Parts: sequence; C-alpha cells; structure tokens
Amino acid sequence: MDAVSQRVLEHLTEVEEAAEEVLSSKQQVVELDSRRNRNREALSALRTEDTEKVKVCFGNMFIKLPKLKTREMIQKDQEQLDKEINELRKGLKAKVNRLNELQGKPELRGYSLSPLSTEEIKAINSLFKR
Amino acid sequence: MATTKVPEVRDITRIERIGAHSHIRGLGLDDALEPRQVSQGLVGQLASRRAAGVILEMIKDGHIAGRAVLIAGQPGTGKTAIAMGIAQSLGPDTPFTAMAGSEIFSLEMSKTESLSQAFRKAIGVRIKEETEIIEGEVVEIQIDRPATGTGAKVGKLTLKTTEMETIYDLGNKMIDSLSKEKVQAGDVITIDKATGKISKLGRSFTRARDYDAMGAQTQFVQCPEGELQKRKEVVHTVSLHEIDVINSRTQGFLALFSGDTGEIKAEVREQINAKVCEWREEGKAEIIPGVLFIDEVHMLDMECFSFLNRALESDLSPVLIMATNRGITRIRGTNYQSPHGIPIDLLDRLLIIATSPYTEKETKQILKIRCEEEDVELSDEAHTVLTRIGMETSLRYAIQLISTAGLVCRKRKGTEVQVEDIKRVYSLFLDEARSSQYMKEYQDSFLFNETQAPTMDTS
Repeated sequence: MDAVSQRVLEHLTEVEEAAEEVLSSKQQVVELDSRRNRNREALSALRTEDTEKVKVCFGNMFIKLPKLKTREMIQKDQEQLDKEINELRKGLKAKVNRLNELQGKPELRGYSLSPLSTEEIKAINSLFKR
Repeated sequence: MATTKVPEVRDITRIERIGAHSHIRGLGLDDALEPRQVSQGLVGQLASRRAAGVILEMIKDGHIAGRAVLIAGQPGTGKTAIAMGIAQSLGPDTPFTAMAGSEIFSLEMSKTESLSQAFRKAIGVRIKEETEIIEGEVVEIQIDRPATGTGAKVGKLTLKTTEMETIYDLGNKMIDSLSKEKVQAGDVITIDKATGKISKLGRSFTRARDYDAMGAQTQFVQCPEGELQKRKEVVHTVSLHEIDVINSRTQGFLALFSGDTGEIKAEVREQINAKVCEWREEGKAEIIPGVLFIDEVHMLDMECFSFLNRALESDLSPVLIMATNRGITRIRGTNYQSPHGIPIDLLDRLLIIATSPYTEKETKQILKIRCEEEDVELSDEAHTVLTRIGMETSLRYAIQLISTAGLVCRKRKGTEVQVEDIKRVYSLFLDEARSSQYMKEYQDSFLFNETQAPTMDTS
C-alpha cells in the first residue's frame, strides 16, 4: 500500500473510532436511563407496599430486606445514576465535537453556550413561539 | 440521542425588496474569492464584487463590527445588487436588515429612533434553551376515578421508546393535563420535567391503522429512540430589537396593537445591553454582528450622519453598508457640499467600493438573466435591440421593457418576444431622455412651469 492510501486508511480509522465512541456513549446513556426508570418504578412500588419487609431481587436471588433500607439503597443508586448520565452527556458533547472536527464539519452553532435559566427563558419566551 | 438538536429557526425577519433584484443568489465568487463573470445572478463588476467578497468574509468571521462600507456608483450599476448578493451569501444565521434612506422620515418616530431600531435589528443574539423532557409513545393510560366523583384521582401512564418501557404514577394534576390534551394510547408525547407541560407530537406510525377515519391534522411520527428522559437543547437567534420590543411592552399597551412601532425608551435599551453583555460574559449568549444596509444613503440628513458616526462606535454595532448614486452634492440639512452627500468625517471611516457602468456584453447578459427571472422568452434579434436600448437609455428602462414586451407578446398570442413587441412598448413608454425632450418641447402647456428653476443635481 502506498503512503497516500495508508494515510487515508488511518484517517478513516480515526473517524470510525470517534464515531464508535459517540455511539457507545449513547448506548450507555440509554442503558443507565432504563435502569433509572426501573428504580423509579421500584420506589413508587415501595410507597404503596405496607409490609415491613420486601423481597428484593439481586441477580437471580430474592432477598428479604427491610423497606426503609431498600428505599435508601435505591435512592442512593438513583443519585449515582443521575450523576453518571450527566457525566456521559458532558463527555458526549466533546466526542461529537471531535467527530465533527475529524470529518471536517463546522462546529455546531451555539454548541458550547451555557443555557439560560428558566426565568430568563420565560422572560423572552414569546420570541420563540413564532 | 442524548442531546437532540433541533434545527435552528430563523427568527430575524429579512426584508427584501421583491422585484428588481430577486434574481440574485449570492456574490458569484469562487472559493478563492475570485469573481466569476456571470454567476448567481451577478454579471461583471468584478473588482467591486471581489471587494465585497473580502468584506463578506470578514463579516462571516466576525472580524469586523462597527465598520461601514459605502458602495458608490452611477445609477443602474448594480449597487443594490451587490448588497443583495452580500445578504444572500451571509446565510440564514447572520441578520441582514435593509432599509432605504427615506424610510427614516416618519411622523410616528424620530429619525434617530428608526435608525436605532434598524441598527438593533441587525444585531443577533444567539442563546440556548435547555430542557429535560420525557419523550415517548403512550402504551397505556389508566385512570381510576373515585366512585363518589370527588376526591383524588390516581392513574398510571405507560410510556415506551424503541429501547425501553416504563410506568409512571400519575397525580391529580398530571391526569388533568393529560385529559386536557386528549392524550390516548398510541400518541407520542413529551413532558417537560420542570413545568410538567405535556405536548402531543403526533400519533405513532405503528398505530396508523387503528382507525379508518382520521382528521387531516393527525400527524404520524416515529416512536422515539433511545432513553425516555432526554435533554433537549435549542439554539435561538433573536435580534436585539426583538428583545427591546418585548421589554418595552410592559410599559405601554400601545405597542401590542401596532406591532413594533412606537419609540423604545433609552433606559430599556441600556438595560437590555447590560443584560446581553452579562449573558455574554457568563457564556450564555453569543453576539452576531449582522449587516445593516441603507440604500440611497444621501437621503439622510446631517443629524442622521452624526448619529451614525456615534452609533458605529458602540461595541454592539453591526456592519453598516450604504449605497449612493450621488457625486459631489449638498449634504441634506446643510449648505455644505461633500462627496456622495456624506460628511467628510463619516466618509473617512468608510471602506468605499465603486461600481462602474456595464459594458454592452454585460448589459446583454443581465437582460438575459432578467428574462429568465420574469419568465419571458426573447428572440435573438429582440435581445440585441433591447441591449441597444439598455445601452442608450438606461439598464433599468430596458429591464422595465422586458415584462411589458412580454405582455404585448402574450396579447398577440406569440410565444417569443419579437423586435416588433419591443418597438411597440418602446413607443408606448418613454424613457428618461425622451421624456425630458418632450417636456422641453411642450413645457409651455404644462402647469406650474418654471423654466428658470435649477434642475435636480444628480451629478
């Protein structure tokens, strides 16, 4: 293989790798969100439960645990999940940017802006509705 | 998708004078900024187009703001065309405001007010809105109403995306807004997490066959992909003037009725400026200096020119492009003569692009483009005749003849405009020179005839 095609190949590999990273991050967010939703369902199920102890499924085993402790455990997990998803999203932005750069696409407009607060949005909301 | 990018909606109104320059698509430059002879509706004027291209690149890169450009040249040499070309090549994201110099003379508004508004229309502010939403297809809604009719309702809402499915417990408020929006199984909805606002996006494609008869307004959408709880970012571009308007509305209801007329208080503008600068420092806003185009700029008077001088120095200032067809003439509102009717101190700040009269070949090409634009077929001989008319009278007159000759041709059920059609409209409508000739011959029979009065200075 001559030098030119070698370089093209290297470049394409780089682009593919960057794209793969974007896709895998996305998939990870999806998985985490689905876990988050399952946890949320569990929390609301706990709310309606009136027995002292509940059965919790770990892998393929059911363990009886006190209700309070279970709730605490799930809530902790939820917080952890929220944090992880936020981290992933932040990382995803940088990854998408890198991919765009590799492909020679211009940076998305207003991509790195920080969002306005809710009150600020409300103040000028009427401009967006048209 | 983690971050859904919604295509930017163009918010800034683009005022275009339809007609004379509707065929212009850009400046007709290649990648190296070299002008092509005929491209994107522009013909010739290579030097000025190249100059405009350089300025355009600087505007795009945001290198220049608060600068001013003057396009000067004889009537009918494509000044407005070049400005339109710049506007078209700027793309949808850079605000472009066009006005004629005479637009500032209004009874409702002071001259400086309408200039301020025009300036602020030409400055865009890019901001981002970020919302956490739950987006999914409704699988099932289950609402339990208490038998007594009063009391709390409870319910469950099952939502899914292509990847997952989950059940939400519903409170009273959510149940109310769901029934208000008439959400049913098969709808694709979004719920704003912060406000709890529900909006229906449409019906899922998989449910397209649920009913035989459906309203024409029913929209079918794909079942959303990915996670249920998404973060949505929308980038908006608004002009400073639009922000001004909504903030001055609270002061008086008059503005509500008449769109954006009425004057905006200086304090409001100052507050907005302060806020926008604060946003910029916090990384919440980007300022896009756009372009303000003032055609027939010699119509402005001394006050306006001194206002322009001052306004260009503001740090929130667009690029100002002006066009004039005047030579050395009196500045409006004074007795001083100055080149282009513009005071020397302002002239000193300008980059000046000159346009020169078109050659015969170029005139021919322009007429051809206009014929295509106006959907008029022209025979070769007629084209040559029209070009001659264009050279001897004016390009504008020749362009006027295209559509009129087209009408005459249609009247005699022809498909192609022939020389006789041109001849006919040429005899029907006088050009400027023949009209003045006529005046000179028959001036005695006109009313209010003042032969001694000085003629208009158009040098």
